[in-house]
Amino acid sequence: MPNAHDALSSFSVITRRTILSSTAAASAVPLTMTRGQATPNAEPSAAPPLSVDLVVNNRTERLIIDSRTTLLDALREHLNLTGTKKGCDHGQCGACTVHVGGKRVLSCLTLAVSIREPIATIEGLAKQDGSLHPMQQAFIDQDAFQCGYCTPGQIMSAVACVKEGHAGSDAEIREYMSGNLCRCAAYPHIVAAIKQAKSATESG
Amino acid sequence: MAGIGTAALRLDGPAKVTGGAHYGSDAPFGKPLYGVLVTSGIARGRITAIDEQDARAEPGVVDIFTYRNIGKIVPGNIMDGDGYMGTSIAPLASAAIKHDGQIVALVVADTFEAASAAAYRLKIDYAEEVPAATFDSPGTETVAGVVASKKHKDPAVGDAEGAFAGAPVKIDAHYATATQHHNPIELFTTACSWSGGKLTVWESSQNMWGAKTGLALQLGISPDDIHFVSPFVGGAFGSRGSLTQRTAIVALAAKKLARPVKLATARDQGFTIATYRAETRHHLKLGATRDGKLVSVSHEGFEVTSRPDNYMVSGTDASTRLYGCPNVASKVSIVHADRNTPGFMRSPAETPYIFALECAMDELAYALNMDPVELRKVNDTQNEPIKGLPYSSRSLVPCFDAAAKAFGWSKRSMQPGSMREGEWLVGWGTATTMYPSNISASTARVTLFPNGTAKVQTATHEIGQGIYTVCALIAAGKLGVDPANVIVELGDSNLPPAPVSGGSNSTASVSNAVSKACDEILAKRAQGANGAIEAYAENIPKGDPPDAIRKLYKGQPSFTGGTESKDSIRFAFGAQFVEVRVHRLTREIRVSRTTGAFAAGTIVNPTTARSQLMGGMIWGISAALHEATEIDPRNARYTNKDLADYLIPVNADIGDIEVIMIPEEDSIVNPLGIKGIGELGNVGMNAAVANAVFHATGVRIRQIPIRLESLLVA
Ligand code: FES
Ligand code: FES
Repeated sequence: MPNAHDALSSFSVITRRTILSSTAAASAVPLTMTRGQATPNAEPSAAPPLSVDLVVNNRTERLIIDSRTTLLDALREHLNLTGTKKGCDHGQCGACTVHVGGKRVLSCLTLAVSIREPIATIEGLAKQDGSLHPMQQAFIDQDAFQCGYCTPGQIMSAVACVKEGHAGSDAEIREYMSGNLCRCAAYPHIVAAIKQAKSATESG
Repeated sequence: MAGIGTAALRLDGPAKVTGGAHYGSDAPFGKPLYGVLVTSGIARGRITAIDEQDARAEPGVVDIFTYRNIGKIVPGNIMDGDGYMGTSIAPLASAAIKHDGQIVALVVADTFEAASAAAYRLKIDYAEEVPAATFDSPGTETVAGVVASKKHKDPAVGDAEGAFAGAPVKIDAHYATATQHHNPIELFTTACSWSGGKLTVWESSQNMWGAKTGLALQLGISPDDIHFVSPFVGGAFGSRGSLTQRTAIVALAAKKLARPVKLATARDQGFTIATYRAETRHHLKLGATRDGKLVSVSHEGFEVTSRPDNYMVSGTDASTRLYGCPNVASKVSIVHADRNTPGFMRSPAETPYIFALECAMDELAYALNMDPVELRKVNDTQNEPIKGLPYSSRSLVPCFDAAAKAFGWSKRSMQPGSMREGEWLVGWGTATTMYPSNISASTARVTLFPNGTAKVQTATHEIGQGIYTVCALIAAGKLGVDPANVIVELGDSNLPPAPVSGGSNSTASVSNAVSKACDEILAKRAQGANGAIEAYAENIPKGDPPDAIRKLYKGQPSFTGGTESKDSIRFAFGAQFVEVRVHRLTREIRVSRTTGAFAAGTIVNPTTARSQLMGGMIWGISAALHEATEIDPRNARYTNKDLADYLIPVNADIGDIEVIMIPEEDSIVNPLGIKGIGELGNVGMNAAVANAVFHATGVRIRQIPIRLESLLVA
């Protein structure tokens, strides 16, 4: 029988204790708010609604909205564009990815009233005649999803990933698509789809 | 002509890539109110005061619902018993708090922003009692499975103890698996709207008819007055099979306010208002002859559950039957703690129990100095050991042969730590997967139109498995039409009932019902019917009770398969292979490639089957290396309730995943020979990874997830 520790222990003297003691000192208690545990004298958070013009998929939309409204909720609840998905509301999953001024942004972390540049969502990606963007077709061809809930965000990220010049290799695609979680775990097929649509997306 | 076995692209693909697919959270209700939940800050005790003043001062707040004013909701029984619920703990029934994150209030406002702000301005005080968090916490109560549930049996045969004592080679080891949460990317939202005494609920569900029946019982109204809708489900994995307690609360709020209410459940709240996979512990004892034949298998399991509910997964049902062995003993116990009730999560029973068994088998292989694949082959059997029933089909050895060849297993050197590449220790591991092949009674309506199009209607659920396309392929093949010309309607409780999409039964159950309806159409046409020909079929699989359809109309499936049949035992099998790389200095663990070979009877659509098996394999990697819900033992609260702290793989974590499907015919499981695959892919992968980590490092880790700190020298 092999010695249980021989392959690792001969190389290094890191112990569990040294790791634990060094990380404990560095950690701090985060300041968080918790629902149902208000502190007295909480300031009212509401401000009067604001008017904002958003250019979404080449249409100008005038909205009178709460200053706290995220772009994600503005799209979904005010403009009925439910293709953009909410998976966490905290910038942790990528399901809400849209393009603002041609760059990918997390719409759940973006206040709608702060936006001055044009917005593109999954509903605006296909051509007017309904023909799919090459990336959309590639996701179908490679079966790059299962439930499809993360897919609008994946596709918006994938288009941006190519345009940013971050689709040079499988490893680079994986790295630059790692802000978009897929719980169905379609990852290898997402990489294949991006490779399929890369050149058409670059020229498109 | 396309039909069963055609590798077809998803017919719902265009909807999914354009934002046109509507999920439960996309309820098309105009001018709704918005609801936000407040969940408890303690795990055990009582609410002593609720101060709503500040919260109600938030502009836009319409109402706040707590135990004081919600009205009557019948708690219901859990689905693992005879009910529909994920938990029997009724959150707004009283001031009592039974677990961390229990719903304590629903704040309703004109806007989501106002409801959210008010939820933070609500002040709730508690009298806290010391809760029991998990195994070994003071105050837990351990109950034998046979005492907790009449359904549960501890499979046993022969004299396991005596045979173990006399065995020349023995393994006696303890294993553990972590708490996990499904975390589908779609949140646990609910939208309710009343009109003329009828309730419409948009909520992503794996169980349309079960949800409407269960909710009707909770609200004391007729199931006919409830309409559940979710054309698409944004990931489920078991989390949406049972009804949560949130739905009835939203329904009552919408009724009182006479407006649609959309509940936006936050990610952290999903950890405590829905179910999860509880942590488990295992004690395995294997005895074998020197040539590797098992002479004794004993498997004892412990599972955590909530205080009131006897939820248990009882994976010994499978683990005691995987290999031929004359002496088998097993026992399952549940440990009641102050926790929310666990529930079904992708291969609930097999994920933890086969992990333990397959790690122990690897340890046995090393004790014997025998190749781990060879050990599985030596103990392969065509009859399960407990009652001696034949497997309806079992292609485990062909799976091992095919996967081992594709993986290059013959180049493996047995010695741990012996395969290195530069700074990386390379390890190869393997394990068996098995999953019961279930089928339930199901119904479907099919219409064939004179223009060569057809329509399939059945209240099954598109949870990502590709059932839209499966239904179209079945009908297309039978009726001789193009699958693209088949309209499929599902995800709606007004359609003919299909069973809960759980236990990997849907493709088998629904396909056989659709096929039967198509046969009736063909018979009608042969008898001279013309115009649009419609047929409604009820399929009752052999072995289902005679009242299976009546039960189905009450939202209850009648599963047959697995170990439930009298004449045979029905499982799908597969072989998992994995390569890990462990950095010799940092202990970083990477899975560089995996190969899985699976035999699961008829594969209706190889394209979507491949995706499902691949996703399952990645789930196995995730269980082995990433996922764990951390519990603070002092207060029984989960500490990592978001997608940044609850680790699941991202794209960069996943290397090559090779999926091989081994042809297999099985006329016993059902007429179409379909075995489910939704849960086959992840079972065993956790053990294969752990075994590979041992092979890379020589360190045997018996608890998952294995993190780099697991490999630090103690
Ligand atoms: S919803 Fe925006 S990142 Fe998750
Ligand atoms: S396809 Fe389901 S989460 Fe990605």
